[in-house]
Amino acid sequence: MNALHPRIRIVWILRSLIGAALLGAAATGIAIFLSEPLTIPAVLTGLFVILGVIHAILRYRNWQYVVGDDALYLERGVLTQVHTEVPLVRIQHVDSRRSAFERLVGLASTVVYTAGSRGADVTIPGLTPEAARDLRERLKGLAIEADGEDAV
Amino acid sequence: MKLAPASIPYRVFQKAGRVAISLVFLGSIGTEFAIGRELVIAGVGVIILLTAGYELAYYRRFRYEFTKDTFDVKSGVLNRREREIPYGRIQNVDISRNVIQRLLGLSAVNLETAGGGSTEAAIKYVTAEAATGIQSELRERKSTRGDREPAEGADTDEATKKQTAAEDELLFEIAPSELALAGVLSFDPRVPGLLFAIFTGSIPFVSPVIPQTDSPAVLLGVGVVFLIALVVLSWLVGAASAIVNYWGFRLTRSPTELRYERGLLKQYSGTIPFDKIQTVTISDNPLKRQTGYATLAVETAGYAPGQANERGSEAAVPIASRDRIKRLAEEIDGCETVSFNRPPKRIRRRYFARYLIGLAVLTGVLYGIGQLLAAETFSWYLPLAGLVLAPIAAHYKWLHRGYALGEDHLITRNGVWRRETKRVAYHRIQTVIDERTIFQRRWSVATVVADTAGSLSLLGNDAAAVDIDASDAIYLRRVLRTRLQAALAERRQQRNSVPAAASTPTPDSETLADDNEAAIGDETE
Repeated sequence: MNALHPRIRIVWILRSLIGAALLGAAATGIAIFLSEPLTIPAVLTGLFVILGVIHAILRYRNWQYVVGDDALYLERGVLTQVHTEVPLVRIQHVDSRRSAFERLVGLASTVVYTAGSRGADVTIPGLTPEAARDLRERLKGLAIEADGEDAV
Repeated sequence: MKLAPASIPYRVFQKAGRVAISLVFLGSIGTEFAIGRELVIAGVGVIILLTAGYELAYYRRFRYEFTKDTFDVKSGVLNRREREIPYGRIQNVDISRNVIQRLLGLSAVNLETAGGGSTEAAIKYVTAEAATGIQSELRERKSTRGDREPAEGADTDEATKKQTAAEDELLFEIAPSELALAGVLSFDPRVPGLLFAIFTGSIPFVSPVIPQTDSPAVLLGVGVVFLIALVVLSWLVGAASAIVNYWGFRLTRSPTELRYERGLLKQYSGTIPFDKIQTVTISDNPLKRQTGYATLAVETAGYAPGQANERGSEAAVPIASRDRIKRLAEEIDGCETVSFNRPPKRIRRRYFARYLIGLAVLTGVLYGIGQLLAAETFSWYLPLAGLVLAPIAAHYKWLHRGYALGEDHLITRNGVWRRETKRVAYHRIQTVIDERTIFQRRWSVATVVADTAGSLSLLGNDAAAVDIDASDAIYLRRVLRTRLQAALAERRQQRNSVPAAASTPTPDSETLADDNEAAIGDETE
């Protein structure tokens, strides 16, 4: 199984920091409106930052993927652990994409689409741009090779 | 081929009706601003004229055509659109006719494919004969694609229709007693919601009628009466809509397709190709189980998320005896006799604990309300009676859960009140998902979901083996993976062994690698 690039933790931590900041701002606003002391929002924000960091680290630890002979396997999740198997014959198309945060730390994601309803798109984050491109090309090649029939 | 000429006045009428409503509103404002009545009437006239012009242009622009490999639709007045739909990609073909359309002899035809977010081609409106003509022509084309030249004209359509109608084998026809039963067992849950919305809006008007009293007994009485009325009304509406919907329900089969007809006021008919069926679901509830009845639904990938809600049950057999439903499922999707593997028995304790938590929360909330209202006689402790029922409920929840690995299908069963047995052919599985929440890990159980492209699955109705032992989950995942590959390999072999030019190809052979690359790519949005 392959792990993600360690820098993905920075992306996830940044995201949770933004969430915590928004929440903190809202809590501060309410506290000021109710003319309560600002300790509660401060503690709340701190708590969310800590939780976000722990979550990001655990999430990184639990994330694994591998391209097998006939399927792509993913394992991920902190509270709910999810194992997904995407048979290569079921791959419809493959994207690689880079969000603003990902570009900041020089990472990219590969997204695999199937015709399914629930697991219709599977994202593998935390790849270097080259790795994302390689994975995309590899999956594309394998999917064509697997020669699926009509997908639905 | 073009639309029916009668569609022009109907479409004008339809659009103008919508415009008229907004004009009535405008008119009522207009009188306040002293805009002359003449002006409003003139406005209406202009709008009707514009609509009529637009619809005439729409009629003149709209063309549909059967080509060698595709069904082409050219439409649009200002924004023009030309579409080619490969025959092999068409999922459902549905015809609907409401009362007014029936008077005018019109039908709407909807073609569904798996891609995109809405109906792929909506033909509004053609004559009833042309509609069934399109349906049977598409069926012909799908099974003998490329083998013959496009046929045109009503004569050929008529001939095909008669020919195919003769081939159809009747699978199911609803008997009056079954229709009545379907009505009796229906309960429309939308009614309480609607009534709630109306009543909350009209409380200021109703409140003077309600006896002004602080006595909780009277309030409770009013509440109970209201609740009973609500249940009776929902049931009546449900019964009426079920009867109107399933009036004259017929399910027939041809070698390649299922075909249904139903409806009293608005008539529906449609086709479902066998090779597009994703899942077959048999559902029942305690009442139906006791009386030996069940419901059958067939699911394809044709409908988009929003549509699945309103039209998902189209191909469902509303009610029939359990044996008959079982035979129908076998006819449609192959025979399977299996026994279910239940989740481990320890899981009943988990359900019990879950119910206890639920009861505790409910009691707590009621207690809180009682304290707030300072009502002495408020019996907040009533839900605690559920303590006796909780172990029974937990047992039944466990009892009705299970999964089975059949010869060609994964079969799962879930739910006590609405028990659903789902059959997914191995070759229909898209992805296999194994989920373990933090609580499930404590009990070392897992949920394995076999995701398909079916449109109802979007509501979280995928075939799922819930709360099975963690080691069983790993085993199930492996079995599903190997059986999917084996089923696909077998189908590939079958396909290759049938010569491409054979006159009677199997339903699957038409969706060959030739259009594999153009497979439904944008399907997942």
